[in-house]
Amino acid sequence: MAKIALDGVYKLFGDVRAVDDVSLEIADGEFLVLVGPSGCGKTTSLRMIAGFERPTYGTISIGDRIVNRVSPKDRNLAMVFQSYALYPHMTVAKNLSFGMRVRRQPRAEITRRVQEVAETLGLEELLARKPAQLSGGQRQRVALGRALLREPEAFLMDEPLSNLDAALRVQMRVELSRLHDRFRATTVYVTHDQVEAMTMGDRIAVMSGGRMQQCDTPERLYERPANLFVAGFIGAPKMNLVSGGVGSADGSPVVRWLGQHVPLEGEMKRAISSLDVQEVIVGLRPEDLRWARDAPESCSARLSAVAEVVEPVGSETYVVARVGESALTARFPSRSGVSSGDQVDLAFDPTHLHVFHGDLGTSALVPDAPPASPAALEPTETPELGAPLGEHSPAL
Amino acid sequence: MSVRSPLSRRRSAPAALPRPDVLVVDYPRASVGGVATNLILAAVGVAFFAPLIWLLFTSFDAHAGPSLQWPKLTFSNFSALFNSTRLQPFINSLYLAGVSTVVTTVVALFAAYGLSRRHIPLKRTFMLIILFASGLPVNMLLVPVYQLFVRLNWIDSLFYTSLFLAAAALPFAIWLLKNFIDQIPDEFEEAASLEGAGSFQILLRVILPNALPGVAVTAMVTFIAGWGAFIVPLVLNSNPTSTPGSVAIYEFLRINGVVNYGQLASYSLLFAIPVVVLYLIASRWIAGAFTFSGGVKG
Amino acid sequence: MAAAEAPIAGGLAALGPRQDRERFKFLSLGWLTPSVALLAVLFAYPIGYAVYLAFTNLELIGPTAQTYQFTGLANLTRLIHDPTFWQSTWLTLIFVVGSGIIAQTVIGMGLALLMRRALRPLRITISIVIVTAWIIPEISAAFVFYAFGTQGGLLGQVLGKTGDDFLSTVPLLIVCIANVWRNAAFSMLVFTAGLRNVPEEIEEAATLEGASYWRRLFTVTLPILRPTIVTNLLLLTLINISDFTLIFVMTQGGPGTSTAILPVYMYIQAFQFNNLGYGSMIALALVLIGALLSVFYVRQLKPEIK
Repeated sequence: MAKIALDGVYKLFGDVRAVDDVSLEIADGEFLVLVGPSGCGKTTSLRMIAGFERPTYGTISIGDRIVNRVSPKDRNLAMVFQSYALYPHMTVAKNLSFGMRVRRQPRAEITRRVQEVAETLGLEELLARKPAQLSGGQRQRVALGRALLREPEAFLMDEPLSNLDAALRVQMRVELSRLHDRFRATTVYVTHDQVEAMTMGDRIAVMSGGRMQQCDTPERLYERPANLFVAGFIGAPKMNLVSGGVGSADGSPVVRWLGQHVPLEGEMKRAISSLDVQEVIVGLRPEDLRWARDAPESCSARLSAVAEVVEPVGSETYVVARVGESALTARFPSRSGVSSGDQVDLAFDPTHLHVFHGDLGTSALVPDAPPASPAALEPTETPELGAPLGEHSPAL
Repeated sequence: MSVRSPLSRRRSAPAALPRPDVLVVDYPRASVGGVATNLILAAVGVAFFAPLIWLLFTSFDAHAGPSLQWPKLTFSNFSALFNSTRLQPFINSLYLAGVSTVVTTVVALFAAYGLSRRHIPLKRTFMLIILFASGLPVNMLLVPVYQLFVRLNWIDSLFYTSLFLAAAALPFAIWLLKNFIDQIPDEFEEAASLEGAGSFQILLRVILPNALPGVAVTAMVTFIAGWGAFIVPLVLNSNPTSTPGSVAIYEFLRINGVVNYGQLASYSLLFAIPVVVLYLIASRWIAGAFTFSGGVKG
Repeated sequence: MAAAEAPIAGGLAALGPRQDRERFKFLSLGWLTPSVALLAVLFAYPIGYAVYLAFTNLELIGPTAQTYQFTGLANLTRLIHDPTFWQSTWLTLIFVVGSGIIAQTVIGMGLALLMRRALRPLRITISIVIVTAWIIPEISAAFVFYAFGTQGGLLGQVLGKTGDDFLSTVPLLIVCIANVWRNAAFSMLVFTAGLRNVPEEIEEAATLEGASYWRRLFTVTLPILRPTIVTNLLLLTLINISDFTLIFVMTQGGPGTSTAILPVYMYIQAFQFNNLGYGSMIALALVLIGALLSVFYVRQLKPEIK
């Protein structure tokens, strides 16, 4: 197992910066998730690690060697493709053993390892079938098995679960995590699904527009998003984001928000005082915005609102309520009896507020984060930058 | 002739490309026209069929002649062929067709792979030249090739004649195979490359198996052309022992004083059979093999 | 990608030249080497050589077989003043245009249209018969039609004139019939594929508006098929203009030179009269005519490509 590092990597297609100055270090045995919306550069980055694309600038290293000029076949990596890329003319057994056969390993050894991997993934019955005769989930496991068989320095996975139905996806997520715990293999995993990212990753690298937004553990991403993009991307339902301002009351910094003056504590207080603007964007996650009647003691701040939309999801109910001109999503208990049009009192703990620079969009706590302007919050249709159009991989 | 079509038992498979009509014209949903339509078609069919029937009858006819008549059944026209002089041309035809097919197919496969997957300067120009070359009449090349062969002492050689046939078939073969290989998704090669396979291994183990229909069409077309080649061996070969079947039949027809219809018919019929069989087998196999199912999602 | 040469925008120029330029590896040419070698020696070189030889006095046998020389426009002059050449050209046009283009296209289209509406078993049988006529080797077809047109042959039987040798009286006609018989399958298959791409709704709409079958055919169906028809004409031209075997075996170009289309005339001049140089000139004329016709068709296709 080896570590992987990207250092100042750019990838340009024409004038488009598919990957824009990305630096990343993946430790030996770590499961790192690259996550972001379509076109953010995650797949391109993965393909550069694999060697199917060459970086325009920057270096990529595996272990201690720089592999920019190294052909994919010499990088000792294994990859699970989004579309599986199983050889259609070969049986499952031959698909699995292809790598070993190419390296001319002894027949007995090949049979043994194929059997081993087939047992691990429950493929023993399928060894004589061809990919066309398998279901989506089975093909996915064969693709995985093919990668496992190689015993590579690292695994690369390109949205391997995106073609599976929801139930199967959850099941496979658990399988993959279990496999990772068992083998402790360095893995780079690409997905657009933030739930997958949060549940599977040791660390998550959030990308947008070709740039690295934040690379951190799931907890820190959740609790301290570095900018507006990460704040809006991680966590569902999305964080409430409303403009506000900073000022002081009685000598202490406060946040003026939705008609409230919210006093700040500790770290946030220090960060706000060193902020160079007055306008900020304040964020509060729906799960931190509670019904006053039901809220714990720590939720000292209060808001009056009018419920507009009530969405029961079973274990709880999300209520979109209007405060002044803003609509906020709050989490209510499932049997609250609240309906649209009701006046409700909301409560939150001031320490759960996230404050972002009004112009740069960076978190007040992380002033040197990459900027993410408020406009970046709107989902836009970006063309898929994962693969160049019309040309085949130049690195082959 | 049997009426049952090989395609009448096909399953409705979800094909990635539309299945070509290589043997039988079929319209699954069209309405049926009136009596006139069918009568006219039948009449046309009979007109087309008559010469073939004549060939069949005459080859079994002891009193063979140019007219269509009930044969006085005999096998003598066929048994007369089973001696070495009469059979040698068949073997020569097989050599010409076989060698040219092997050479063309292999060489075209390499070229098509390189053109499809590699960054080669002036690729488009090259392909355009290839396309035009495949439309060039071979007649133009006969005089210079003859002259060239004489000087190189390649004349009267089945091997070099095959090479020329291969070269003549090459442009079309390259064009066909390249277009075919273009359609194979890149991912198979990427996956294979990551697994450690070098280019040649990829070509052999990944590309070729998935390009088999294209390869089959190329091989079939080249073989049929080589088998039926007439003017090329006529010009490039004067040695009686290396005369192929087509020229042999011609000589049998023209050079003898009297036309032996019976034996000529059996000879022509026998000469036609390998090609017809090849076409039947290959077209059925090709029509069923136009998908990459299972390899990629969906 | 073309943009590999364009300057990088936005301040990245400081990072230097791109590292991902498509680098051409000489090894890539290795894939092409056998093809290029084969084509260069046996295809490209002969083309140039053919052009050269057309202007020489090379002979098959005799003194100028060994030491031939460049004779300038002598062959060309000879060509222009050669009545047989002009006859041959005319015959070629009749053969290609008449039998090839008109007959094969019309019959092929007719068959394709009939097939659409025919009973399935009939359709299958007819398909097999017509395609078989196409597949059998040309020599076999040539022999069959030799017998067809000769005295006492099938044609004579049908017309009730078994005493006539049609190969002597109307050799060009017989040869044309043989050609149509053999190549009808090609047009039929091409048009069948083309017809299948004609959306049924358009034809149904025309029927609803009261158009009769023929009117529908000419004002709706055929115009939609125009590109297919033109492509088919192009391919038929190329196929027919180089036809040698059928005619040479059936009539040897005769009687006399009455069926000596250009490929046959070329052979006769080069390999029977031993005039290799002159034969090459005739071949050039053949290619030129073919090229002119092709250009004409491609021009017809251009408005479709837009």
